[in-house]
Amino acid sequence: MDVSQYLEIFIDETNGHLQNLSDCIMTLEKEPENMDTINEIFRAAHSLKGMAGTMGFKRMQRLTHDMENVFQEVRSGNMSVTSGLVDVLFQCLDAIDAYLENVKESSDEGTDDNEAIIQELNEILAAGTGNALPVKTEKAPVKPQEGEKFPKRYQDIEFSEKEKEELQKAESRGMNIYGMTVFIQEECLLKAARAFLVFKAVEDYGNIIVYNPTSQDIEDEKFGVDFSFYLVSEENLDKILEVSKAVSEIEEVVGEKLKYSELTAAAEKKEAAQAEQAAQEAKALEAKAEEKAVPAVAAQTKQAPAKKANGGKPVTNRTVRVDIEKLDALMNQVSELIIAKNSLVSIGSSSDGGASGASSQAFHEQIEYLERITTGLHESVMKVRMVPIESVVQKFPRMIRDLSKKLDKKMELFMTGEDTELDRTVVDQIGDPLQHLLRNSADHGLESTEVRRKRGKPEVGSIHLNAFQEGNNVIIEVSDDGNGIDTDTVKEKAIERGLITPEQGETMTQKEIIDFLFMPSFSMAKKISDISGRGVGLDVVKSNIEALGGDVEVKSVLGEGSKFIVRLPLTLAIIQALMVEVRGEKYAISLGSIETIEEISPDEIKFVQAKEVIHIRGIVIPLIRLDQLLDCEPEEKERESLTVIIVRKGDKVAGLIVDELDGQQEIVIKSLGKYINNSSKIISGATVLGDGEVALILDVNTLF
Amino acid sequence: MANNVVAEENTKKQFIVVKIGSEQYGIDISYVDNIVRMQKITRVPKAQSYFKGIINLRGEIVPVMSIRTKMDLEPDEFTDVTRIIILKLEEHGVLGIVVDEVKEVVTLAPDEIDKVAYDAKNSKSNFINGVGKHGEELISLFDTNSIIDEPEMV
Repeated sequence: MDVSQYLEIFIDETNGHLQNLSDCIMTLEKEPENMDTINEIFRAAHSLKGMAGTMGFKRMQRLTHDMENVFQEVRSGNMSVTSGLVDVLFQCLDAIDAYLENVKESSDEGTDDNEAIIQELNEILAAGTGNALPVKTEKAPVKPQEGEKFPKRYQDIEFSEKEKEELQKAESRGMNIYGMTVFIQEECLLKAARAFLVFKAVEDYGNIIVYNPTSQDIEDEKFGVDFSFYLVSEENLDKILEVSKAVSEIEEVVGEKLKYSELTAAAEKKEAAQAEQAAQEAKALEAKAEEKAVPAVAAQTKQAPAKKANGGKPVTNRTVRVDIEKLDALMNQVSELIIAKNSLVSIGSSSDGGASGASSQAFHEQIEYLERITTGLHESVMKVRMVPIESVVQKFPRMIRDLSKKLDKKMELFMTGEDTELDRTVVDQIGDPLQHLLRNSADHGLESTEVRRKRGKPEVGSIHLNAFQEGNNVIIEVSDDGNGIDTDTVKEKAIERGLITPEQGETMTQKEIIDFLFMPSFSMAKKISDISGRGVGLDVVKSNIEALGGDVEVKSVLGEGSKFIVRLPLTLAIIQALMVEVRGEKYAISLGSIETIEEISPDEIKFVQAKEVIHIRGIVIPLIRLDQLLDCEPEEKERESLTVIIVRKGDKVAGLIVDELDGQQEIVIKSLGKYINNSSKIISGATVLGDGEVALILDVNTLF
Repeated sequence: MANNVVAEENTKKQFIVVKIGSEQYGIDISYVDNIVRMQKITRVPKAQSYFKGIINLRGEIVPVMSIRTKMDLEPDEFTDVTRIIILKLEEHGVLGIVVDEVKEVVTLAPDEIDKVAYDAKNSKSNFINGVGKHGEELISLFDTNSIIDEPEMV
């Protein structure tokens, strides 16, 4: 069978399952008794096995099969989850990941059998179950699978008070309550549509009270192959089953008539975990018995090999895969359109005087309309390119866990804002810098467990990763409650390495000293570990993030911890900007960083440490004269009033003195190319204005 | 027969002859993307002194270099015949250079080109990799790659 066309789906899905497994195993390590997680892991391992089997990746299938075996035993309570088991499981995940990498590169899983891991798994299996003979474990996982081919998932539904009330009312009116679970064929492409048809069919006979998953999720196809519901109807069960099975591509429908009292009793039972298990087992037996009664369909599916049923199923969610290059091309065209629109705007405003009233009015209206369309178009294209940072950060909890073992420090990672969205190209590239920062926090930031105990801190160090949007930027903070940066040691090191003289060291601010950490090959680690300390770290982080148009800031309190603040631009290509003039030269400043604009008279300027500042509404703001900064010719005499643009970066503000304001414009950012030396980074790019003129874009973040 | 013609064509190279100061220079035509009239150049603060700035070439931002400044000649004087030659260099993208005048296109056979030895003392000659003889006239041939190279820091 030619499966190459499914390869991409396989890779995607396997990645998903791996991530899911990794998350679950992390949870399991903390809550070894969590039945839901164990079931989840079992299912994921089972799907992986099925998929690998379908694709003909025998080694991968074997490994996942053995993993599944272990979970089978855990699930049935024959063995418990130990930290040793978790370690081996993680090794399994790594091995599967390695297979997947091979598959990605060569469409083949490679030749590593990972015998050692399989051996270990089986040993754990044998030790855990004590008496388990190999024969038994081989067989064990297969049987229940078949029995649970069509589990009565509706039994898992929990009722709200209102739903209970409705059910009770219905029963008192002499209606029947049916619990139903519908299984759709794996290869069905329009599952939501099939589900809809089933609902439509059964609703001719009664009302659906509860859905699982919710009706919204079913509509959005957010379900696997089955969904469940409770129906109240006057019709008898056979009729209902018949009409629902009549819908095409339905594999099987299981259902039974229930009494309200049974339902509530079952719900109460659930609260006690063990009772639930017992009930499930009993019901599973029932299900088996019933399955025999269900003729043709069930028999057929039983014969069908398990791997077919589980393998290579495309989870259809309504998405289209688009090559990022196509999006880039689209983006470029939108950019061109915006430039063209801008030139129309400038023609429109310049021909104002001459044109007759009515036609110029119509012209302006159309231009405004065009403006709305291009802005909308731009936003849509931008949104298409936005992806949540989740895909990058979700591997971090596992990394921290591994580091924790390796470094023998207790630590925990807390993440918020994983759903924060960023441009795809940015997301693809922030993984490494963030990983560096986390490793840095784990290795250098957090103290060893003994030291923490001595200092009266909680033994388990915490590392936080918080992401959120702030204006036109996305901020990602990596903080730890460790030792913080010891500026004196850094200073000594800088002096030792001849970067500064001791005298210079005396006058440096904390920030200036911390900046040394971002210098190439300036490592503070006392000994080199394979985690960090080679001096390729923070400087790489800084340059990577700056290459994306962002920056890194550090805050640190000795003894309390440090915080790395990464600021990234939301969009890369098009921004709203304020156009300003300095000695006739046009510059664009991103609106995102502008706080306010003030008119001041020169005598409001005060001096602090020989630097110009103004005092506005209780804040002292340092002034930067853009003409001096940009090496313009000085003006002959000072103006009577100065225009000051107050810009902000984090909690710092500065005032930029400009000559003229030229209004707000949507600009397309273009690179200056590689030839021009732009080491000061004040100019972050250029843009073409409506009249064809070129304006430079000022990156105010570099001014702080 | 036809093959011979092709072979002969291949060994010959075409050069655009430009005037910078009193000398004539040749630029290998395979690097030339375009020749545009002088237009407004936007200054880029803090850039190297020999960069005049950037221009808008049909929506593309193109940096423009003053070859005079780079060769330590007098500063450019823009006239009606001043042109910007847009060079296209594989990895580095496009770059404009300002010349006083564009004269003609010449075809030079290998025996019409004398190689010039590298002379570390003469910064001007570092940009030249040969001298072409075209009739009575001598044309200094630019080494396109050395134009882009950063001058070595002293």
